[in-house]
Amino acid sequence: MGINLNDLLRHYRSHIFEDYQVETPHTGVISYKVQDGQTVEGPSGEWLQRPGTLLYIIEREKNVKKMYTSWNGQVTGIRPDLEGHFVEAGEVVLSIRHRLDKNEIIDRILTQVLNILRAPQQARYFLSSDISAKLGKHPECRIAIEPGDEIVIMSLMKRDTAISYKEASGVLYKVYFRSGDIVEQGSPLLGICPSDRLQYVQEVVQRIRTDWENM
Amino acid sequence: MSKERVLIANRGEIAIRIMQACKDLGLDYVVVYTKEDESSLHVRLAQERGGFKRAYRISNYKDPNEIFSVADQAKCTAIHPGYGFFSENFGFARRATMRTRPLTFIGPRWEVIRDLGSKINTKRLAKKLKVPVIPGSDELIYNEMEAEEVAEELFFLQKEQGVQHPSVLVKASAGGGGMGIEEVSRLDVFRMVYRKIQNYAKRQFGDEGVLIEQCLRDYQHLEVQLLCSSHDEVVHFGTRNCTIQSSGRQKRLEVAPGFDPAVCEYPFDAEGVLDQIVRYSVRMARHVGYDSIGTWEWIVCRDGSPYLMEVNTRIQVENEISARISRIKGGTEPTNLIKEQIKVAFGDRLGFTQKDVSFEGTSIELRIVAEDTNRGFAPWCGTITRFDYPEEPWARLYSHVPRDIPYKIPTEYDPNLALAIIWGQDSEQAKERARQFQKGTVIEGKGAKGEDIITNLDYLYDRINDILQF
Repeated sequence: MGINLNDLLRHYRSHIFEDYQVETPHTGVISYKVQDGQTVEGPSGEWLQRPGTLLYIIEREKNVKKMYTSWNGQVTGIRPDLEGHFVEAGEVVLSIRHRLDKNEIIDRILTQVLNILRAPQQARYFLSSDISAKLGKHPECRIAIEPGDEIVIMSLMKRDTAISYKEASGVLYKVYFRSGDIVEQGSPLLGICPSDRLQYVQEVVQRIRTDWENM
Repeated sequence: MSKERVLIANRGEIAIRIMQACKDLGLDYVVVYTKEDESSLHVRLAQERGGFKRAYRISNYKDPNEIFSVADQAKCTAIHPGYGFFSENFGFARRATMRTRPLTFIGPRWEVIRDLGSKINTKRLAKKLKVPVIPGSDELIYNEMEAEEVAEELFFLQKEQGVQHPSVLVKASAGGGGMGIEEVSRLDVFRMVYRKIQNYAKRQFGDEGVLIEQCLRDYQHLEVQLLCSSHDEVVHFGTRNCTIQSSGRQKRLEVAPGFDPAVCEYPFDAEGVLDQIVRYSVRMARHVGYDSIGTWEWIVCRDGSPYLMEVNTRIQVENEISARISRIKGGTEPTNLIKEQIKVAFGDRLGFTQKDVSFEGTSIELRIVAEDTNRGFAPWCGTITRFDYPEEPWARLYSHVPRDIPYKIPTEYDPNLALAIIWGQDSEQAKERARQFQKGTVIEGKGAKGEDIITNLDYLYDRINDILQF
């Protein structure tokens, strides 16, 4: 259960940037609103209610959709050849070079401390209706999870399979996917903190917060 | 007709069959595909055909804006929805024909889809025309207390009838092809199942409407294939038997015709029942002014009573077995119902009447699926590395699985791999040939953990003997 926090923090210090490719969500005619090298801001506000920088607009069937960045960072890889043209869905139109922040480092390190429920197959996943309803009302609440609780629905090849929690009782600490997303096999879905490890996890979080600033 | 360009708004083997039909009719065509389907044969075949850009990547086959946006970009004049997806969505059909740049919808008029595409509307219309339907709710239920009341009444009726193991079916109204149906045999678990189906229906179809029906047992599942035109022409192409299904009510082996008294004994007048369901189906089609291809689905109980289940206002997966046994005006080639469907959509007359349609032999469809029939037909995911099957004049195979490169089965869709269509001079020969075909078919592949591929080939072989038997 023990982790070498110093090593992990050093690793993330030396791999502090991540590149995110921005793909078109659907077909349409694209018009860029940023340039290569431009700095962009991700969503902000208490509930992330303020959208990030506008990256491009895409017009389909006379509907204009504004596409904002989900990350802070710098724009790279703009494709001028696409400007004003019809693009297909899933076309990579630019990239964002993003610097990981403290909370993201905490999330990554916690995957080594929590009980992680991983996707057994590449499939579409949904939170169970109970968990979804509770988080809908209080997004920050810590939900108690018992062995045998149905916590996630896996929708694979149009068939729904309920996935039950099999480890020790605990609280739901982190949700790593958005309900309805396709998740790759082996990727984390939920992080559950066993009751007896709660204090340890809080200490780890606290240490990352202080050490990250001081390193 | 040569200036028409058809957008094929579907995937897999049906997209390939529609492409072929368009080619035969001298029509241009364009296909769409998702990221998950990039290596599907339907994409490659369209790209290889060339001439102009024929394959467009979209986000989702179920997003109408994607389909219409590609239709405009590719200068299409018509849309063929195939089966599933938008094929029975009257809103989509209406939008296609009524938008600023209208498109021919290759299917029935939207009003007809509205009236027959929903199980509830079909049931109401059938009752009005004195066509027998399965006992149960005849309106959509959104409230679980109301649903429980209907279920309670159905349990009570079955007890009164002396049914030994009464049960009800909870069905997602917008579902089709056996999806979103669950059986309940105890009233105390009804609400739980109801909620489950309602949530499933909302996720999969965007409509949580549910209907409750008595669960009939000891029956055969039959179909009547109709072809109609906008010139008030109604012709049937006989019947099919689709009784052999997976535990999830997915068809696996189908046969045409629906009964064969020459080789099987039936506890009722089989020919008489087939005539009856054809007559009922034609009556409903005439009443609504049906103007395309369509399938009327029936339950036939051991006492020979037929009950209408639903109408599929689209081309059916298994249409080919009806086509295979039918000849028009004594022609030597089997009928191509997809071509006929496209022709009537563009306003053509059928050019023949019922008396010009003759039937010859028996045809069987084997649905080859990557699934574990020993584990509740659980879908299998992985990569296919080899797919070989016998080339025979009496067999056809439709598949989107490329045979020259490894093919990863997408997890977003059903793991259907191929349809094998077998023809025989009579039912015994058709069954024997189906066995021969199955034995000669080789599918190899590996799952994510290196395990061997699992398919339903052995299951299909074992069940060939059961076809047409009550």
